[in-house]
Amino acid sequence: MEKPDERLFEEDLLSAEFLIGAAKGQWGLPAPEVMAEQPPWPNRILWISATPRPDSPDRFYILLDFSGYRSVPPTGTFCDPKTRCMLDLSKRPKGRKDSRFAKVFRTDWPGPPYGVGGSAFYHPYDRVAAQTHAAWPGEQPHLIWTSNHTIVDYLAEFHTLLNSEDYLGTT
Amino acid sequence: MLQKELQLFIHGQELKPTAVVAAPGETLREVLLRIDVFRENQDEFLVFVGECVEALKEPHDVEDGADEHEPVDISLTVEALELGRHRHVHFHRCRHVEVEVNFGGKTKHRKFSPATTIGVVTQWACKKFHLDAAAASDCVLWLCNSSEQPRPDKHLGELVEAPQCSICFDLVKEITPQG
Repeated sequence: MEKPDERLFEEDLLSAEFLIGAAKGQWGLPAPEVMAEQPPWPNRILWISATPRPDSPDRFYILLDFSGYRSVPPTGTFCDPKTRCMLDLSKRPKGRKDSRFAKVFRTDWPGPPYGVGGSAFYHPYDRVAAQTHAAWPGEQPHLIWTSNHTIVDYLAEFHTLLNSEDYLGTT
Repeated sequence: MLQKELQLFIHGQELKPTAVVAAPGETLREVLLRIDVFRENQDEFLVFVGECVEALKEPHDVEDGADEHEPVDISLTVEALELGRHRHVHFHRCRHVEVEVNFGGKTKHRKFSPATTIGVVTQWACKKFHLDAAAASDCVLWLCNSSEQPRPDKHLGELVEAPQCSICFDLVKEITPQG
């Protein structure tokens, strides 16, 4: 039987807002030929499209832990959908030096005991980042995750970054 | 002949979008009548198809421009209105949404179709304020006198309710996480 957080997540995947982004090719669930089935709940893999850059993929997969969705923000990072492991740091999207993009997708954070470098996004929508930065609600009140936020808010935020001029590609 | 059904996305004033399935031979009126809100006051609504991107084609030197995006005749069929291509339908009482964007002590105005996304308004504003690509990467729109930041996929019409057919934004640099 589905848990409440899983049921809420599945409902949000059927929302018009999620379907609109999917119809525009901005995000989605992996195709069966890429990944036969999703990992056990509370983990789910999705993809987000990225603006074309030389020798770089047109989309990135993310593996997120949705425990407590929507009351609790998700956490996770880029992954290889075949192995379901964290994406090698050399294959991560790179950003212009000192840009917001580079900060959000930094790979030198978090350290122990919160994870390993690149295992979460340095952004208020990420559970680990939010829980370890007490000042952020005051500094970035508009980006603090609440129970009114959905997976669409999360995907739209990171889609915007991956389609910005600050994204340089993976090489 | 079998006609393939289409998934359409319906937007309206102060409403979350709704997905509906429509057959090519149905009129748009028939499709919209399945939505309770539309049924109540259907004659008061103007209906637009597609998401309007006219502002992105506007020459730099045009001030106080306006979208031409015309409302459609909802007695036409889904097929005739090319909704397979447009996908989005927006019903609203406002013909235009008058947008004011503030940045660096200056203000730009434009009348947009209600079926314009916040993403398009943001791009237009960055262009009007002559921001280079790197600066524009971090710029977002906040509702004036607040820190509320509408998502880029939201339609302007979802944020305003007639007779208030106007909205004010501040163009701000997104905060880079620190600490």
